[in-house]
Amino acid sequence: MASRKEAPSGKSLDSPVRQIQIEGLVVMKIIKHYQEEGQGSEVVQGVLLGLVVEDRLEITNCFPFPQHTEDDADFDEVQYQMEMMRSLRHVNIDHLHVGWYQSTFYGSFVSRALLDSQFSYQHAIEESVVLIYDPIKTAQGSLCLKAYRLTPKLMEICREKDFSADGLKKASVGYENMFEEVPIVIKNSHLINVLLWELEDKSTAADKHELLNLSSSTHLEKSLQMLMDRVDEMSQDINNCLFFIPLQYIQRRQQENAQRQSRGEPPLPEEDLSKMFKPPQPPPRMDTLLIASQLSTYCQTIKEFTSQNLGKLFMAEALQGTSSYS
Amino acid sequence: MISEDHVTLKTGVMMLKIQDLLLSDDEEDTKRVVRSAKDKRFEELTNLIKTIRNAMKIRDMAKCLEEFEQLCRAFLKSKTIMDKEGVPQFYIRLLADLEDYLNQLWEDKEGKKKMNKNNAKALSTLRQKIRKYNKDFETEIASYKEVQSCSPDAFTSSSGSDDDDDEGITAKSLLKKKPQEEEKKAPEASKFLKGAADEESESEDDEESEDWGSDSVDSGSESEDNEGAAASLAVVFLKKYDSRRKKHKKKERLEEEADEEAEAEEGGWEKVKGGAPMVKEKPKMFAKGTEINSAVVVKKLTEILQARGKKGTDRAAQIELLHALAGISNENNLGEGILIKIKFNIIASLYDYNPNLAAFMKPDMWKKCLECIDELMDILFANSNIFIGENIAEDSENLAISDQPFRVRGCILTLVERMDEEFTKIMQNTDPHSQEYVDNLKDEGRVCGIIDRLLQYLETKGSTEEVCRVYLRRIMHTYYKFDYKAHRRSLGLQGETKSEQDQEESEGEDSAVIMDRLCKFIYAKDRTDRIRTCAILCHIYHHALHSRWFQARDLMLMSHLQDNIQHADPPVQILYNRTMVQLGICAFRQGMIKDAHNALLDIQSSGRAKELLGQGLLMRNMQERNAEQEKIEKRRQVPFHMHINLELLECVYLVSAMLLEIPYMAAHEFDARRRMISKQFHHQLRVGERQPLLGPPESMREHVVAASKAMKMGDWRTCHSFIINEKMNSKVWDLFPETQCVREMLVRKIQEESLRTYLFTYSSVYDSISMETLSEMFELDLPTVHSIISKMIINEELMASLDQPTQTVVMHRTEPTSLQNMALQLAEKLGGLVENNERVFDLKQGVYGGYFNRDQKGGYQQKQSYQRGKHHSHQRDPHRSRSCSPVLLTCVGWMQLL
Repeated sequence: MASRKEAPSGKSLDSPVRQIQIEGLVVMKIIKHYQEEGQGSEVVQGVLLGLVVEDRLEITNCFPFPQHTEDDADFDEVQYQMEMMRSLRHVNIDHLHVGWYQSTFYGSFVSRALLDSQFSYQHAIEESVVLIYDPIKTAQGSLCLKAYRLTPKLMEICREKDFSADGLKKASVGYENMFEEVPIVIKNSHLINVLLWELEDKSTAADKHELLNLSSSTHLEKSLQMLMDRVDEMSQDINNCLFFIPLQYIQRRQQENAQRQSRGEPPLPEEDLSKMFKPPQPPPRMDTLLIASQLSTYCQTIKEFTSQNLGKLFMAEALQGTSSYS
Repeated sequence: MISEDHVTLKTGVMMLKIQDLLLSDDEEDTKRVVRSAKDKRFEELTNLIKTIRNAMKIRDMAKCLEEFEQLCRAFLKSKTIMDKEGVPQFYIRLLADLEDYLNQLWEDKEGKKKMNKNNAKALSTLRQKIRKYNKDFETEIASYKEVQSCSPDAFTSSSGSDDDDDEGITAKSLLKKKPQEEEKKAPEASKFLKGAADEESESEDDEESEDWGSDSVDSGSESEDNEGAAASLAVVFLKKYDSRRKKHKKKERLEEEADEEAEAEEGGWEKVKGGAPMVKEKPKMFAKGTEINSAVVVKKLTEILQARGKKGTDRAAQIELLHALAGISNENNLGEGILIKIKFNIIASLYDYNPNLAAFMKPDMWKKCLECIDELMDILFANSNIFIGENIAEDSENLAISDQPFRVRGCILTLVERMDEEFTKIMQNTDPHSQEYVDNLKDEGRVCGIIDRLLQYLETKGSTEEVCRVYLRRIMHTYYKFDYKAHRRSLGLQGETKSEQDQEESEGEDSAVIMDRLCKFIYAKDRTDRIRTCAILCHIYHHALHSRWFQARDLMLMSHLQDNIQHADPPVQILYNRTMVQLGICAFRQGMIKDAHNALLDIQSSGRAKELLGQGLLMRNMQERNAEQEKIEKRRQVPFHMHINLELLECVYLVSAMLLEIPYMAAHEFDARRRMISKQFHHQLRVGERQPLLGPPESMREHVVAASKAMKMGDWRTCHSFIINEKMNSKVWDLFPETQCVREMLVRKIQEESLRTYLFTYSSVYDSISMETLSEMFELDLPTVHSIISKMIINEELMASLDQPTQTVVMHRTEPTSLQNMALQLAEKLGGLVENNERVFDLKQGVYGGYFNRDQKGGYQQKQSYQRGKHHSHQRDPHRSRSCSPVLLTCVGWMQLL
């Protein structure tokens, strides 16, 4: 591990990884893992293994975390990972830790937990990424796999643990520049490519038509539902902010001043509010930021989804038109 | 020496007390207490006088003033005794002396100059005070002075006689100050003292050495008490100084007094002496041979009554005594007047038996009281020439047998009311699940009987107010009872057996008729608001209990009690709550689900139904309520037999909430702003949802929740089976008098509401649906289905039209799909979010309203049009946007206000 760490040290710090190359094997393993263990909104996680080549992160293997159950509380995750990596090393597989993966339910993955663990990964191993796998979209015919990293700015903040409004402002971190997405390339060996070609030839047309499924409402509904929940949370946060400020007092003062003004008297001086009211704990900003980020991801997915679906609908319409002509 | 005298006097009294105790003569005992209370007061006074006199001696005016003020207060305190006994001579004498003394000091200019400032000031205030004060006693002081001036001899004797020995000393010391008088008085005073000492020894020696003992005055009472002592002292003096003239005067008074006392005490005294043998084994009331007439009995009565309420009075003995007196007066045929008076007092002392208001009477005591009242009523009914009333003054009573009708002070109504209250208290304090409670409850009939008799009596004799009060009592005993007889009659059933029929006939009119008559009388005649309010509430309750919903409702609405009941006192409020609940249950029975829900909402939503109905206290921590409050609250509790079943109440409420809420929820599934009709019901639903494992329902609530779930799916059969089954029958429905009707009504309501729910929930899946199918599904006849659907269409709840020829409902498909609904909701939420955000932004900027004033035309209008744009595809657009835009507008308006 130490040797690997030395290698990229000369690289530019702001983005040590510009591209991610994933082995087909890794994708297959992640999909299999979810298929076997995850269901519904449950999330599966695992470790990515690979190495860094110049500004490219190559992920060549992975292994899953075992599903947590209540009764094996004394299970040691770290021990398990070390054990796994050692075993893999014995069979001459890349054993270097380069990140982790996680499945998602309708694109909801931006959370405090993710932020924290990704931070600790990136803190320890600079090039780490998190792969987000969306099984639902994949089931609909389009593989959805995305790699994310924390931006250096956010890393800075996390390192200092300064989540106050001022800190965020100073670092100029907004919801849009919390995470950076790294482009992914899936690479297979030539032999596998040959096999795929062969398989494609053999497969029937129906197998490929999942992509053309026109039903969209359930997915959209679900996404909207989630979006709405987040919006509610957001509103709640904003409300908290509202009540954080002694609104009533300010209002009263404002009215009074207005009256005084109308009578031509000088307005009352603005007093220091913090003196009159014990300042309550300022509401934490990070959660709001995360929610906002999640909202934007939702919007992104919905946008993608709808644009795809619209394309499909137009296509279907065109097809129907032509078939009716003929 | 003098103080010794005092001691001996005291020991004398003590001895006598011990003797009495040994004899354990109740009569004596009570007697003594009266005296000792008086003694105490007099002692207080004399002590104060003594200190004043001392202060006078040393010319300490400040002290004098202070003491005098205390004296005045003490005198005020013993006012009641003074009223009876007259102002004691020694008091008058002090006043006179003090005034003289002060005047004298006032005149003495030189002395005044020598006085220090404090003293001089006190002197002037005291002088003014005493002048003012003495005006009240002008006549007494004048007569005292007169006596003093015309015959100093008489004065000394009278002073000696009317005073106790302490007074004697002070008198002497006072005399010392007036040297010109001293010579004359000193020997007399000393003689007097000697006399007093003699007297003491005499009393201890059992009056052996009396030299005047031949008198008819019984000497037994002499050292007994102050008064007695004073009187006999006077006798001693008069004897010794041969002032017979005085004696004659005194004698009359003495005879009277001694007569009375002797009557009371002779029994005891005779025994001490071991003299005349007892005639009766019972403690004798009157001296043997005393002519027993009404005057004597009345005197005796007042004497007994004086002990009432005093500390240490044996209340049981007092009651005994009164009973004995009643017996005596009965034996001697003194007439009903006396008897009634005694009875009144017996009942009053029975009530007094428990000194604590919070504690309840013992049932047997209460029963005695009941009997007494019964007897009293008997007498009153038997003799129509007796007038009783509270406002008959003590002295205008006519107790003796004469041509005039009897006049007796006392109010039977109050006694009966008190008896009734005690009954309630007994019921409150008996364990409702014991046999004892049942036994006590059996007496309720007797209470009712007495109230009925009283009612009859007062209807002929009483004033309107009294009639109102007794009517209210009657109503209070009637309103909560279900009239099974009338119910059966209304069903057209006759009593099954002959005896039952007889009973029916004998029982008289329906309670409804009685209630109506009594209440109407009260409405017309009552002047106090409280009685009328209670009567109205009881009337409503009674109507509601007997399912006369419309009468009950109209009465409630007409009375306008809902507006001002919060000003009433807690018991009335409890009654109001009970009435509302009963009204709600009545509405439910009649199938007025909405009314039922509204009536019960207030009580149920608080979650304190138990407390609000006065059926038990809620467990609360002690901070909120101290022991005192708890006692008060306990006193307000309604006795168990009048309770309204809380489970029934809750079930009725939940079922009516279910019938209202489930269709409403189905209709407004996507409405972000829907309000819940019943919080309580939602709470129950949530509790049901939280259950990790859903077994078959056990409790009433679980049944309702399970039924609600079934109804949500439009499954009326399951719903029905959850609401009406064995368990629920035994728990709830069988408690209604018309069980079958209620169940039928419920089934029908469930069918109807399930149909509505079904249409709301599944209308989007249908293009059209045949009404016949619906009527089959819900087992409703076609016209009903038709009417329900038509109503829904008219109310714009269902977007559909009826196709007459095919009997089908054609859906219009104007309802937005769930996706569209979702989008609408999202838009609404986003609107809120933006708004909130802008408010926060504004706050940050510190510019109030500026942003909105500036952007109002732009920002909001735009947003609204955006929303309209969203709605364009739907026909129900206007309706929807109407529901959104007012909110936005109010927000804007609010912002402008800022």
